[in-house]
Amino acid sequence: MITGTGVVKTFKQRGKVLGAREVQALRGVDFAIPKGGAASFIGESGCGKTTLGRIIAGLETYDAGEIVIDDVAMSPLKPKRRQPHFRKIQMIHQDPYSALNPTRTIYQTLYAPLSLRAGQTGRSSSWIEERAAEVLTLVGLDPGTVMSRYPHQLSGGMRQRVVIARALTVDPEMLVADEAVSMIDVSLRLGILALLKDLRERLGVSVLFITHDVATARYIGDDGELYVIYRGQVVERGPVDTVIADPVHPYTQALLSAIPVLHGLEQPGEQPVMPLETLDDSQADAGCLFARRCPFRGERCTSERPLLHVTEGVPQEHACFYPERRNVIARPMSEV
Amino acid sequence: MAKQAPGVRIDGLTVVYKTPAGELPAVRDVTLTLEPGTITGIVGESGSGKSTLALSLLNAVQPPGRIAAGSVDIDGLGDVVALRGENLRKARGKHVGYVFQAAQNSLNPLKTVGKQLLDLGRSHGVDDLRGLVREAKELLGRMGLDGARVLDSHQHELSGGMRQRVGIMLALVLNAHLVVLDEPTTALDMITQANILKIVREVHAERGLTTLVITHDIGVVAEVADRLAVMYGGRLVEQGPTRQVLGAPRHPYTRGLIKAIPRLVGDIAEAQALPGRPPTLVTVPKEGCVFRERCPLRMDVCDTVDPAALADGPRVVACHAVNVKEHA
Repeated sequence: MITGTGVVKTFKQRGKVLGAREVQALRGVDFAIPKGGAASFIGESGCGKTTLGRIIAGLETYDAGEIVIDDVAMSPLKPKRRQPHFRKIQMIHQDPYSALNPTRTIYQTLYAPLSLRAGQTGRSSSWIEERAAEVLTLVGLDPGTVMSRYPHQLSGGMRQRVVIARALTVDPEMLVADEAVSMIDVSLRLGILALLKDLRERLGVSVLFITHDVATARYIGDDGELYVIYRGQVVERGPVDTVIADPVHPYTQALLSAIPVLHGLEQPGEQPVMPLETLDDSQADAGCLFARRCPFRGERCTSERPLLHVTEGVPQEHACFYPERRNVIARPMSEV
Repeated sequence: MAKQAPGVRIDGLTVVYKTPAGELPAVRDVTLTLEPGTITGIVGESGSGKSTLALSLLNAVQPPGRIAAGSVDIDGLGDVVALRGENLRKARGKHVGYVFQAAQNSLNPLKTVGKQLLDLGRSHGVDDLRGLVREAKELLGRMGLDGARVLDSHQHELSGGMRQRVGIMLALVLNAHLVVLDEPTTALDMITQANILKIVREVHAERGLTTLVITHDIGVVAEVADRLAVMYGGRLVEQGPTRQVLGAPRHPYTRGLIKAIPRLVGDIAEAQALPGRPPTLVTVPKEGCVFRERCPLRMDVCDTVDPAALADGPRVVACHAVNVKEHA
């Protein structure tokens, strides 16, 4: 179980000409990912979803708030003492082409973390080879053909499977997949998503999926939670199918409206939401962070900032003073 | 100078790349017509040859690649495959505008957008540079940007969506009426993508263009294109009106591809990844159908004979299994 409360991260940019500029990447984010569970962070680039993923994986520090891994709070610990905890959380990067060392065979890539582990637990070297074959089989690759290959001899989908296999060598409790399928060929994407779902079911690994492509979030498990993040704040949170089918926050609605409609197969939603302006996060906002772009803003929105809360009749949490269901997503012709 | 949307006829185009294993075709025997005033979308995975095909429209395939056979006939220009030197350079930009893949990285980081615009004007012998700047400002304004500010900016001062619009402006500012957009929305966010696609549609209609959009994302084509062409392993396997192809795909690859798209509603289990992997230049079969390794309809004839692209009304399919059924 990994939880976060009020996680804050501010990046300071030092500039000689323009002066220092601060970017609030995260403005107090709460999350909880149960063991074996699934969560997805969605939002535009720069919304803070990747920063949050990196903080959860221990690759980035945070300024305030707390991360708790299996009941152990991280911030009181010295960095070295945090390591064994963060080792339970492994990252899968977006680009499988640059995530693997091109001069090492797949076996050599897997050997490094496994030999470290064998040393720690006093296992023999034959265990390393067995375990390498085991993790490759787990991700749907044939160890016999893949082990002696170099990354350039594999397709993007196979490479991403190797990256996942490498993450599995340290028996993680959670995989953080940051845009893990966006660089994979379309015809192979579902295979990787199905693999992540499968690993959850078979190994009980929880999965944190970070993406800008909302539809893919459904495919790692319908029991997952969806977090819609906007400018460092969670603006809507709930079961993935609920949030996609019945979004109440105008930002979520704008995101879903922007997804291309497969004309000929699908009928577009009747109430698409278009933001009034493009994103400009250089401006400070006292009220709702989305108010300037929101077609439905009221008076209250510019003076007061809504926080994540529940209202009657809405199953998911949201950060909007005027939550309203709108029919925004495209549906198959056969259903209309 | 009033120009009209040109038609483009690509006929039997084959582009090969020189490799240690000999000359291998990246695009093989592709025949495709772009009707004047329409938007055509080419969809394909990496290595399908879609970008190479697009570059052929400018006769801009770089060594070790070369156009080995076929012609690209553009109204008002003739066969661009035969164009050389100055004539070719002048055709690019003036007749054919090209928005490059990752247009956000194709701007010069050391020069303002305005300076690059003037370079473009001078290299094409534009006398009225003030007029060119005026035209550029108008185009940028049309796309929802502050033209004067953008022309004074360096590329790092612009967001991804803004750079993409600058790319579109540079492709159109010399009054080209044939525009090629290579992956126009890759690396953009959903909302920005929706904006850019809207702009592409509107500018296409207002200026009377013939537009070709190259993408790996079927959703992008579904949003903008009148006609859809699907490439696989260097071959054009299916083409037709977008709605018809999406609504009732015929080629097994098109069917598989559409089924493999993650969707917002519906049964998750229904979506399936295609088995196998897309071919590369080296692994693409030398004879027979390029898709047979992954094909659920594979027959004996597929191993030896490359299926011809047969037309059935507005639709064209290159598949033994489909064409046998429909033409028998």
